[in-house]
Amino acid sequence: MKEAELLRLELTAYRCRRNILRMIEAGHHGHFGGSFSSIDIATALYFYKMNIDPANPKMEHRDRFLLSAGHKCMTQYAVLAERGYFDKAVLDTYGSLGTKLPGHPDMYKLPGVEANTGALGHGLSIATGMALGLRGTGAKVYAIMGDGELAEGSNWEAAAAAAHHKVDNVTAFLDNNGLQISGRVTDVMSMEPIAEKFRAFGWAVREIDGNDMRQIVDALDSLPFEAGKPSMVVAHTVKGKGVSFLEDTAACHFWTPKGDELERAKAEIEAKISALETAVKEAE
Amino acid sequence: MMIGDKLDPRKTFGAAIDELAEKDDRIVVMSADSGGSSGHKAFMKNHPDRYFECGIMEQGVTGIASGLATTGKIPIFCAIAPFVTCRNYEMARNDLGYMRQNVKLVGRNSGFTYSDLGATHHSLEDFAIMRMIPGMVVLAPQDPTEIRSAAKAMVEHVGPVYMRIGNPAMEVLFEDSEFVIGKGRVLQSGDDLTIVSTGTTTVDAIKAADMLKSKGVNVTLVGMPTVWPLDKELLVECAKRTGRVMVVEEHYVYGGLGGAVAELLSEECPVPVKRHGVPHVYAISGPYADLLAYYKLDAKGIAETALEFLGK
Repeated sequence: MKEAELLRLELTAYRCRRNILRMIEAGHHGHFGGSFSSIDIATALYFYKMNIDPANPKMEHRDRFLLSAGHKCMTQYAVLAERGYFDKAVLDTYGSLGTKLPGHPDMYKLPGVEANTGALGHGLSIATGMALGLRGTGAKVYAIMGDGELAEGSNWEAAAAAAHHKVDNVTAFLDNNGLQISGRVTDVMSMEPIAEKFRAFGWAVREIDGNDMRQIVDALDSLPFEAGKPSMVVAHTVKGKGVSFLEDTAACHFWTPKGDELERAKAEIEAKISALETAVKEAE
Repeated sequence: MMIGDKLDPRKTFGAAIDELAEKDDRIVVMSADSGGSSGHKAFMKNHPDRYFECGIMEQGVTGIASGLATTGKIPIFCAIAPFVTCRNYEMARNDLGYMRQNVKLVGRNSGFTYSDLGATHHSLEDFAIMRMIPGMVVLAPQDPTEIRSAAKAMVEHVGPVYMRIGNPAMEVLFEDSEFVIGKGRVLQSGDDLTIVSTGTTTVDAIKAADMLKSKGVNVTLVGMPTVWPLDKELLVECAKRTGRVMVVEEHYVYGGLGGAVAELLSEECPVPVKRHGVPHVYAISGPYADLLAYYKLDAKGIAETALEFLGK
């Protein structure tokens, strides 16, 4: 991929971060940390990889995306809005009565949402079923999972089934930011070594920096990692990536901005957007 | 099928699905190491590419079925009743109910038809928990003809369905007819009492009604193979006419068809309602016929309970 294209994707990811802050401003709080750690992956999927049509969200044989860690819904909403699935004004309804943007996604409220996720440990099974159902059509299924949710046993049922049935049109990204609401994942319930576990279950696994756009794109270009095997990208990410004073803190899992925190966060993101806009122009 | 024949409910169900699948390639069968014992051997042979064995993972299978349904398939997942209702309940609630997916769960060996395997394998709360999932249809066919026709209706219905079937050979009670979801059938009319029965208990409820007749008690007997949604119109009409309703089911007295009927009639037609089922305990283990007798769900027990309810 050319440098300019890569920078454009990075710029889009930061514009999506801006969308997330817009929702937090509207709703006064939200699952911030995981939304910011996973947004680079979601951006690459929606703006680089997936065969989708925002004007025809139910297009036959489209690729599917689902967010197993549904509490990171602002990632999905931000990307869908940026991609043109719905008017960005809808973002301002986040947290309001009857919003189309509930705290976990609802496929009947918003175009582009493929599954009602949020109860942890469900997504990989649903994604596996989708991929099985789409076999032979060319369509692919992508899921973003959280590292905290790996403790749910149902994930491992899905991991076994996907490998057993050789479902190689499914790819899961593990947003491995290392933190969950109570603290470090390794302190709460360590599932390490994660990559080895998925390999042992029969998945083809690659580890990347999940906030590095080049590494994300390279992984996407290499799918499936092995024919006949489901692909797992263990994406090492930083919770809250992009807002310096929140990065790598469990406290930002669910963030209620206080004082001037929101303004400071917005200033950081806007500065990054400006810098990336300049960089894109220069690269072009 | 001839009236009076005794047929295996699982084989009857499996054969019905296999027959339907011949004409509808959207039908796929899921298995949690449960397919062969759910009557699907013919399907496995005839449609190997539409048969998904996943091993003993009911949560995973329910989620996978949901994902398959999003692509237009009609997954059928039959296993031992508590394991397709309790074990995977959150998947049924979210991935099937909330996601409105066209998946059919079938609980076999339901109630305490797995009598001597103990309470882990009994399902005496499945009506209660499954009818609490908005949009979920709950069926309990009463004989082999209804198993066959309910299987067809279940597949034709767009949305999640839970159907429970028993285990021991079931007597053919009815002529073949179309199964209409949400409709009961009046099997006998009388003015002294309405007895509503569903699923496995209807065969004994019919015999109980005959015993009552010999004692001069004439009951209206309603066979109710749809537990949810309720046939409100029929239930209210019967309650108005007979003034008393007794519900018989192989289920806890709480939350099942009896509970649902009591909820309805308390608002629409308040009459005395007797919920006759299993008390809220882990049922004892033993031969099925003995369990039915112990919990007064055999014909004699149903008749005695009706007489007590009538103060006779």
